[in-house]
Amino acid sequence: MHLITGGSGSGKSAYAEAQILALNGECRVYLATMYPYDEESRQRIARHRKMRAEKNFTTVECYRDLEKTEIPEHADVLLECMSNLTANEMFWPEGAGSDTEEQILRGVEWLRRKARNLVIVSNEIFSDGCEYDSGTKEYQRTLGKINCRLAELADRVTEVVYGIPLEVKG
Amino acid sequence: MKLVIGGAYQGKLKYAKETFRIADGWTDGAICVPEEVLECRGVWNFHLLIRRMLEEQKDVEELVRKLPKENPELCIVTNELGCGVVPVDAFDRLWREKTGRICTELAEKAEEVHRVFCGIGMVIKK
Repeated sequence: MHLITGGSGSGKSAYAEAQILALNGECRVYLATMYPYDEESRQRIARHRKMRAEKNFTTVECYRDLEKTEIPEHADVLLECMSNLTANEMFWPEGAGSDTEEQILRGVEWLRRKARNLVIVSNEIFSDGCEYDSGTKEYQRTLGKINCRLAELADRVTEVVYGIPLEVKG
Repeated sequence: MKLVIGGAYQGKLKYAKETFRIADGWTDGAICVPEEVLECRGVWNFHLLIRRMLEEQKDVEELVRKLPKENPELCIVTNELGCGVVPVDAFDRLWREKTGRICTELAEKAEEVHRVFCGIGMVIKK
């Protein structure tokens, strides 16, 4: 398992897709977590779809409840992005709420068993030095803990900085 | 081109001046005329230049495209944005996203990229 993180606009998606392509597998699955709320998110999704076009990914939408997602056997799976999945689980009425961290970790364990290779994209949302309301802080805390636990499980951890991969682990 | 990035107030400009031995010929992205970056030796606050150009609806990508050819020795110092919570304000979101994409492109073109943390530079590309 490979955890890839970085700031917004840092080129982490392009890097993550290249990692999956380099595995030369026969089946590539993209687990999409961004729900199309509005025009801006639809544009982001369209941009990512365009980037993936011709790379032979099967897109599977997974807005929450990772454990119940159906994926083919022996696939190289790219999950993008942990920050959206965490927000969906925490803030959607039908989401996992206070059980978000454990539920996501169970989902990741399940994916690791099922997938041939697993690449997870997460997000740096911790370094702007601003103080936020308690809900946002709780979200930062939860994603921070999830990132730490994923990094522990991962064979490789990479931070992408303006397109440059920095190896943090592995 | 050389690119020096890092968080705010990390000593990036001092580091850039010393590392690349550029004592003068610097311009401040917070106040300069955009075209100055085509001629100066170094520019700091580059992220603020991007912000001002977006505010004034000027073509920042076009300017950036000219840099490698017209000012190949330029040293660019910029805050690394994008490592915080998604901003509530739509313009702030646009700014940090554009800054990310532009700096990714510049990092690809630059022969050296340094990341400064507490005044100490890490060479992340050379």
